[in-house]
Amino acid sequence: MTVKECYEVMKGDYDDVLSRLRTDERIKKFLIKVLSDPSFSQLCTAMDSENMEEAFRAAHTLKGVCKNMSITNLAYSASNLTEALRGRQTYGDDLEPLLKKVKKDYALTMACIQML
Amino acid sequence: MNAKKKILIVDDSEMNRALLEDMLSDDYEILEAENGLVASQILQENEMDICLVLLDIVMPVMDGFALLELMNRKGWIKNIPVIMISAETASTYMDRAYGLGAVDYVSRPFDERTVRHRVDSNVILAEKQRDLSARLAAQIYAKEKDNRLMIEILSHIVEFRNGESGLHVIHVHAITEFLLNQLSKRTRKYNLNHKLISLISNASALHDVGKIVIPSEILNKPGKFTDEEFEIMKSHTLEGAKMLKDIPFRSDEPLIKISYEICRWHHERYDGRGYPDGLKGEEIPISAQVVALADVYDALTSRRVYKPAFPHKQAIDMIINGACGAFNPLLSDVLRECGDELYLKLQETSQGDSSAAEIDSTLARTLKTEGTEASDRTVKLLEHERTKFKILSELSREIIFEYNAEPEMITLSEWGADYLGMPVKIFNLEESSFATKVFAKGDFSALLQKLKTASPENSSIIEKYRLDIKGVNTWCKVYARTIFSDAEPPVLEGAIVKIVDVNDEISEIKSLEHEVEKDYATGLLNRKAAKERIDSALSDIGNRKFALVFFDLDNLKEANDNRGHLFGDELLKHIAEVTKQNTRTEDVVARIGGDEFIIFMEYTALPEEQVKRIFSRITQKFGDFNVSVSMGVACADGEVTDYKELFEKAEKAAYSVKNDKKNAYRFYDGSMANVLKNRGVR
Repeated sequence: MTVKECYEVMKGDYDDVLSRLRTDERIKKFLIKVLSDPSFSQLCTAMDSENMEEAFRAAHTLKGVCKNMSITNLAYSASNLTEALRGRQTYGDDLEPLLKKVKKDYALTMACIQML
Repeated sequence: MNAKKKILIVDDSEMNRALLEDMLSDDYEILEAENGLVASQILQENEMDICLVLLDIVMPVMDGFALLELMNRKGWIKNIPVIMISAETASTYMDRAYGLGAVDYVSRPFDERTVRHRVDSNVILAEKQRDLSARLAAQIYAKEKDNRLMIEILSHIVEFRNGESGLHVIHVHAITEFLLNQLSKRTRKYNLNHKLISLISNASALHDVGKIVIPSEILNKPGKFTDEEFEIMKSHTLEGAKMLKDIPFRSDEPLIKISYEICRWHHERYDGRGYPDGLKGEEIPISAQVVALADVYDALTSRRVYKPAFPHKQAIDMIINGACGAFNPLLSDVLRECGDELYLKLQETSQGDSSAAEIDSTLARTLKTEGTEASDRTVKLLEHERTKFKILSELSREIIFEYNAEPEMITLSEWGADYLGMPVKIFNLEESSFATKVFAKGDFSALLQKLKTASPENSSIIEKYRLDIKGVNTWCKVYARTIFSDAEPPVLEGAIVKIVDVNDEISEIKSLEHEVEKDYATGLLNRKAAKERIDSALSDIGNRKFALVFFDLDNLKEANDNRGHLFGDELLKHIAEVTKQNTRTEDVVARIGGDEFIIFMEYTALPEEQVKRIFSRITQKFGDFNVSVSMGVACADGEVTDYKELFEKAEKAAYSVKNDKKNAYRFYDGSMANVLKNRGVR
């Protein structure tokens, strides 16, 4: 799978990332780093233990990472969750679908990157 | 020194840091921190090297705003540009960041060209700023130096005609400055600030410029002036003033105005009895009042054609008592209270040094008041001081560490770190093995608490802790000196702490105590120690049996007389040695006086065999000298249980031998009760 194809499948913006990072080689190098980025698992752990502050930070970081790599789809769902978590003290059921969406998009993204 | 410039990237996402590093690492060396706290530690260490910080806002432990606040408190923000790299571009966030001194921001997603451009331009800008302030500093320095030089040349010309050494101008300058500084601490009446003080001190050099028109026969006349000559001499005040007034340009210059005051009125007196105008009290400008006093003091303490030099104390007394006319009481007070300090200052003042030091302090003040950052020179000086501290602490082979309050960290001296097996830099103090292993539980927190509650007035701390030094529990003294900021109220910046092993000290005291029990000449126990041990054995005697043997030398006097005292001393040592060798370690062997010894020993059946053996060993020849002792023995066998009684009986038995044939031993029996009544227990 080429980098371009990868972006198509995981619904990212290939043109944008290429314009910023300039080469496929560099894009690939950093996509692989996304695999080992801990913010998603930190997010899950924090949500499980209903630690809202940590969850916000992790979601925020995940969003930043995705934005940097123009992984638009996951960036969008992470961003929605981040905003729902911002300034929040307690867990609520409204978070559940947002987290679920992030998990789904994350799984797709990881699968695509692994095929590079 | 052509290393790449350093950039610090602070972001909790390793990904983001890696991206930025990738974009910047061609041109810069990259340092990374995953949160504000780590960043602050890196900044603390590399403040001078880091040319730019890229800073995220949302981070664990310490966020970007907190780091910016810290950078403000530490003053780093003035020298190091900060670019925000947060995904948070909400205007409230950015406003707050700008308000805290951030210079720019780069939004996510990062665009390589934008990142490089923003970083490059901000680095260049900051560099230009630094360069400019260094140039400014250099210019101020040069200008100040030139000004001073011109004034000094001019005044030396005057003094040269005057036949004076040239030191007068320098002394008057130093005294004037000293008095003004002291005066400014006591009163606000004269609005004395650094600038004015420096101006008056500089202008003081011109006080006698009018003497240029006085004929040198009068100037250098050794004897008393005639009235007419004195009038001419006095005119130097008005002449000097006139010269300054006639300067065609820049008559508004403060330096010229003040010089005018000084020239004209530095011979006025506070009671109105000076010249030329007879001004009184505060009619005389403060500049002229102070220079007048400085002039008089230096004239008194220097030799002149018409007088010898008076000593410092006498000069001060003369001025205070009004022998040289009346001065402002405030100035007399300063002289009375700080006269000695002034004297010391003048001793230190040598020509070249003083003006270089002056210029340095002017420069430092100018830079400070005009808000410019530290110049390269100061940075170099600072580095020099650091190196000095480092070398000294290594040489001392002591465990020394520097405690830094914010960010909280410890820097151990290299030797100390090596010795303790600890890293040089220690963060997360409370959990570090330095705080938990080297210090016992709670001790380190207690020490930190002490440091934190110290005050600038009470900045020394001495505590004793038991530390684990390489696995050995060791008593140590901890000396700490806290360091506070200049701010009001002062803030604790850190402390220098020294750890000294006092275990040796303690064991030394123990061995000293032991020393006291001993008889100095022979190394046996002394009387006091022997008595204690015997008392203790007797108090717990049970069924055991003890014998006390008392003996003295029959012929020590003969030895001393015939062979000298050195031999006598050797003989005593020999007896002690032999006695020691022929008794058991648990026996008490003591020398209780000149040639008198006792042995206190346990026996089972009968003591006679033991005593006999000891007696025969002691009385063997020492070289060719026949040793002769009179020995008495008393037994503690249920009847006698008291040291005093036991001792008296043994002593009586010994003297019954001495009175008889000498050189024998004998056990006490009732018949000896009346021997030697005149001798008590020693």
